[in-house]
Amino acid sequence: MLVLSRKTKERILIGKDIVISVLEIEGSNVKIGIEAPRDISILRMEVFEKIQNENIASASKEPEDISQAMDLFKKKLSKE
Amino acid sequence: MKINTRKFGEIDIDEDKILTMPEGLPGFPGFEQFVLFEDKKTAPFCWFQSIEAPNLSLVVMNPSVFKPDYQLDLQGLIDSRGWKDTTPENLLIFVVINIQEGRQEKSITANLMGPLVINLENREVIQMAISDPDYSHQYDVLESLK
Repeated sequence: MLVLSRKTKERILIGKDIVISVLEIEGSNVKIGIEAPRDISILRMEVFEKIQNENIASASKEPEDISQAMDLFKKKLSKE
Repeated sequence: MKINTRKFGEIDIDEDKILTMPEGLPGFPGFEQFVLFEDKKTAPFCWFQSIEAPNLSLVVMNPSVFKPDYQLDLQGLIDSRGWKDTTPENLLIFVVINIQEGRQEKSITANLMGPLVINLENREVIQMAISDPDYSHQYDVLESLK
């Protein structure tokens, strides 16, 4: 991993059109500004990891698990 | 065209129904071709099956069944993808489903944070990432039906 030190208001250019700015530093919080083309997806890593983990868990489900889930689902619907 | 699947054996799919994920599926890099199918035995749960990997299939569902007020910025997605001939009406939304082993009963959860959006115009699929505190990655489906 490349490690760079930056002060407040200093910036980093990635490729031709992605600019990262350090806007504010307060204690352990850093406010970062990102300018990038619209088709570049920018995500908090935790969000990506949650999506990834749900995908992986869902892929491990078997049709039998789903048949059971369906019974629960139908039971709930019929109670309405 | 016939494809192999671990869960359903060999299945016959219509080549026109093949979906591609240009950005891939988080957790499964390298796989881009999928097909969505409904198994009569498990409807309304559907399967998002990889064409390339027989082992890979996710359980998905149309969220309108349990979360009719689920809203996404579809126009924003269309603009950022540069989908010129696409309108929000051309897009189908599915969410990834999981079964959680609870204390007494199993629960069914839906990932509202990472919906799969299928573009029927060009058959591309994008898994969006939604950072909205109202949309949990483990939304309780059965609870919402109460």
